[in-house]
Amino acid sequence: MLPALVRKTWRDDRLALIGWAGGVAAFTAIYTSFYSQFQGAAELKQDALPQGMLDFLGIADMLSPAGYLQATIFSLVGPLLVLMCAITLTARTIARPEEDGGMELMLANPVSRAAFAWQRVAAAGSALTGIAAIPGILLMIIVPWIGMDIPLSNVAAASAGLVALVWSFAGIAFLVGAATGRRAVVLAITGGLALAAYMANAIGGMLDGWHWVRWLSPFHYFIGTDPLHTGWHPVELLALVLLGAATTTAGVIVFDRRDIGV
Amino acid sequence: MPGSKAGDDVGMTSDIALLTEDLTKFYGQRRGIEGLNLEVRAGEVVGFLGPNGAGKTTTIRLLLDFLRPTRGHATVLGLDPRRDRTALHRQVGYLPGELVFPGRDKAEDLLRFFAAARGGVAWPQVTEFAERLDLDLSRSVRTMSKGNKQKVGLVQAFMHRPAVLVLDEPTSGLDPLMQQEFLAMVRDASGAGQTVFMSSHVLAEVQQAADRVAIVRDGELAAVERVESLGKRAVRAVEIHFDDPVDPAEFSVLPGVSDVVVSGPVLKCTVDGRIDPLIKAAARHQVVDMLSTEPDLEETFLSFYYHGEGAGDASRAGA
Repeated sequence: MLPALVRKTWRDDRLALIGWAGGVAAFTAIYTSFYSQFQGAAELKQDALPQGMLDFLGIADMLSPAGYLQATIFSLVGPLLVLMCAITLTARTIARPEEDGGMELMLANPVSRAAFAWQRVAAAGSALTGIAAIPGILLMIIVPWIGMDIPLSNVAAASAGLVALVWSFAGIAFLVGAATGRRAVVLAITGGLALAAYMANAIGGMLDGWHWVRWLSPFHYFIGTDPLHTGWHPVELLALVLLGAATTTAGVIVFDRRDIGV
Repeated sequence: MPGSKAGDDVGMTSDIALLTEDLTKFYGQRRGIEGLNLEVRAGEVVGFLGPNGAGKTTTIRLLLDFLRPTRGHATVLGLDPRRDRTALHRQVGYLPGELVFPGRDKAEDLLRFFAAARGGVAWPQVTEFAERLDLDLSRSVRTMSKGNKQKVGLVQAFMHRPAVLVLDEPTSGLDPLMQQEFLAMVRDASGAGQTVFMSSHVLAEVQQAADRVAIVRDGELAAVERVESLGKRAVRAVEIHFDDPVDPAEFSVLPGVSDVVVSGPVLKCTVDGRIDPLIKAAARHQVVDMLSTEPDLEETFLSFYYHGEGAGDASRAGA
């Protein structure tokens, strides 16, 4: 049986989880379903936006199925949505209960600090993985259904990248929360890093001589490889997973060493 | 009661439930507690007294591994709070001073979580304490009054019958009837060999339940006393309203009566020890009303240890 703390964490977060899952599902379903109606308008939109803006938004073209999915689900709003979900839910693992005092009684149970932290992160992480996987799962159904001409394997690769991206930022958010115990700090630092990472990927692709900054950005490892056209890139995905694992582990270690609720 | 002989030489360490040696915690420059040497024996009930901010909560949170000492160390049941955390917490019941429950559960679901997290506490043990405290388990803890929340906190601290109970301000929010029930629970626990270490800033409640009290002030241990020796020092503020103006001289000469202030028909004074002489003297007049307030630790009790020093001064180290 699962540890009581994992079940408790899910139960306490259930409203937020349902809300995020519903939002991400609706977002994916609505955008994708509009594909056929969107085709005419897309041409206008594509002509209306300057190429530089399209590059910055991560939009190669909006006419092909891959371009459309990239523009709608995988370039800006999709990652933004799941990352907001990841950061706020991860802030609930340690920072929020530490700040509001609810952690005191959970830590009074016979459990080591490390076990507490792992169980909290396991509960939040599994829920987040489920939410981040929703776009991929829905696309597996919707893409064949509305007859988008794109290999499902490529869609799966991009969707897996979205999950891996969420893991990497959830790890960072967890580390910040475990180290500081402050919810606002988690939101500010992780949100700021996500924004900086997005910009680094976008600008790095546009400016000569700045190409290297893309390599610092998790977004590059997620979407810079263009998985919707080129399929799986296991090394890049692994890099994101490792970033998440390393920051999570560091968070557990830091949490085990510091004063709590000061 | 075992171990109520304060100050005696201690034989076996296994007899000691709680021990601190030079236990010190600074928050940066701010002092939480400094150089605390304390010994609580198995089965003993010890009150941990001091004004708000004296270092009580800091000490308790050090014992439970929420905080790590700057210097010195503590052992509970011979176990190190950090290294042996899991084994120790299995045998400790803890009531935080700032009681906040995780989630929005009903009291029953919350207590079932605590019971499961402790490896399964038999449910009748939980309901037994809930019934003693007259707690409605079907209500959501978020909507509960402070007193009812405190009851939930007490139930989760007592339910697994831990060897040591560490209770931070346990009676806060409880009405007088429930305070008495709580004190009965403490006596029962002590009778069953459980050790109770409870903090308070109210002398009276500790007096009723504890064998000894440890008094902290400004982050330092001021005294450890047996409760019996404290009783004689009970100081109370008394206010008597008479029909007619009275002469202060008549009262200021009475034994144990001091700080006599008379304004018209109202007499205010402090009584140290027996109140009988004052009552007898007052009875010679027509008494309209009389008010006697419990000794307030912060104002009066500590004055025994710190003559001329006002308690609750600027230095508020570690809540």
